[in-house]
Amino acid sequence: MSQSSVIGAGTVVHGNLQGEGSLEVFGRVEGDVTMTGEVVVGEGGAVRGDISASKISVSGSVQGNLSGSEGVLLERGAKVVGDISAPRVGIGSGALIRGHVRTEGEAALGQAKRTPGPGVKPATFAAKPVAKVEPKAAPPLREAVAAPREAVAAPVIAERPKEKPPERRPPPPVLPSLGKGAKGKKKKDRDE
Amino acid sequence: MPRPSFDASVLGPSTRVTGRVTGDGALRVEGKVRGDIQISGEAEIAPSGSVEGNVTAASLDISGTLQGDVVASGPVAIRSGAVVRGDLRGSEISIEPGSRVSVRLATDFELDLGPVDAKRR
Amino acid sequence: MAGTVIGEGLSVEGDITSDEEVVVQGNLRGKLTSSDAVSIGPSSVVQADIAGQSVSIAGQVTGDISAPERVDIQAGGRLVGDVKAARFTIADGASFKGAVDMEV
Repeated sequence: MSQSSVIGAGTVVHGNLQGEGSLEVFGRVEGDVTMTGEVVVGEGGAVRGDISASKISVSGSVQGNLSGSEGVLLERGAKVVGDISAPRVGIGSGALIRGHVRTEGEAALGQAKRTPGPGVKPATFAAKPVAKVEPKAAPPLREAVAAPREAVAAPVIAERPKEKPPERRPPPPVLPSLGKGAKGKKKKDRDE
Repeated sequence: MPRPSFDASVLGPSTRVTGRVTGDGALRVEGKVRGDIQISGEAEIAPSGSVEGNVTAASLDISGTLQGDVVASGPVAIRSGAVVRGDLRGSEISIEPGSRVSVRLATDFELDLGPVDAKRR
Repeated sequence: MAGTVIGEGLSVEGDITSDEEVVVQGNLRGKLTSSDAVSIGPSSVVQADIAGQSVSIAGQVTGDISAPERVDIQAGGRLVGDVKAARFTIADGASFKGAVDMEV
């Protein structure tokens, strides 16, 4: 079941996003984005991190690599500094890009198709210092909850096992790895 | 697609040039060039055309094959069906889906994501 | 219409081979070989051996010319080099210096 998430224009996300379904970014993401569906970086949207999805469309700004298993499209107004890898690439006139663009072989295929499991994706990315959520980032997240569409952002924001930002909403259903001792602790809370 | 001006040169489909092509005017390559092309006008590599060498021109429109670096003062357009490998520099670069490319784009521009706080309103 | 045209502003330094008609209006230094007609325009300066089905010279050429059919030097044209062709004409006002072989 695909879900659609939106990072609104007034929202800033510090940390990696991953999940099923598609994502539209009109705000700011400081971190990597890994989706099984489509990722759109709209006009005014900005991502500082790598984006991996089936289809990626950019009209905003991206500092990072774009990897689309189906295709990548840069439209007028797009500004990208990073590499692009996809079987089909479209760079419209008026789009600016600085980096390598490859449509053949090499990592263009299958990156985003796998369901991001707890252990799979994080291994690919180096630990990002920016994944720590600063206090001032919290209010935007709550704003995100208020708007009905953006509430869906919850399942999208996955936590990485190592870093547990204190201000985060409760962990998504797909739990990151539980350490040996954690089982013991959780017994109390579990109703099952 | 820009039509060649009257002072345009054409290298026909069966023509092979091994060496340098330089000068004024526009050039349409329907054949094969192995060597550098340095012209003041518009350059076009037709679907049947193939260039193995660097291209310096006012603009470049590629529907055929190019293996080499490109420096254009104007736009560089890679059409569907083109096969391009090399470093590209132009005022504007467009790549149509259906092309096969392995290129490095060195477009000159500033990427300013802006301060993080600016987004919060 | 010629299949290949080297326009007036263009210079080629190297070898050209073709199956089509070739019209040279620019400059060439190297070698030109076509299985069809070759024509060197009045504005051309060519330093190359030229082989074609027929070769017509209205510009300046330094090099050997060979054409099974014919070689013609037009008025205003200038050739320094040897010619090998079944027919050979030098128009009034043309210049030529070289050896001629019109093997029949």
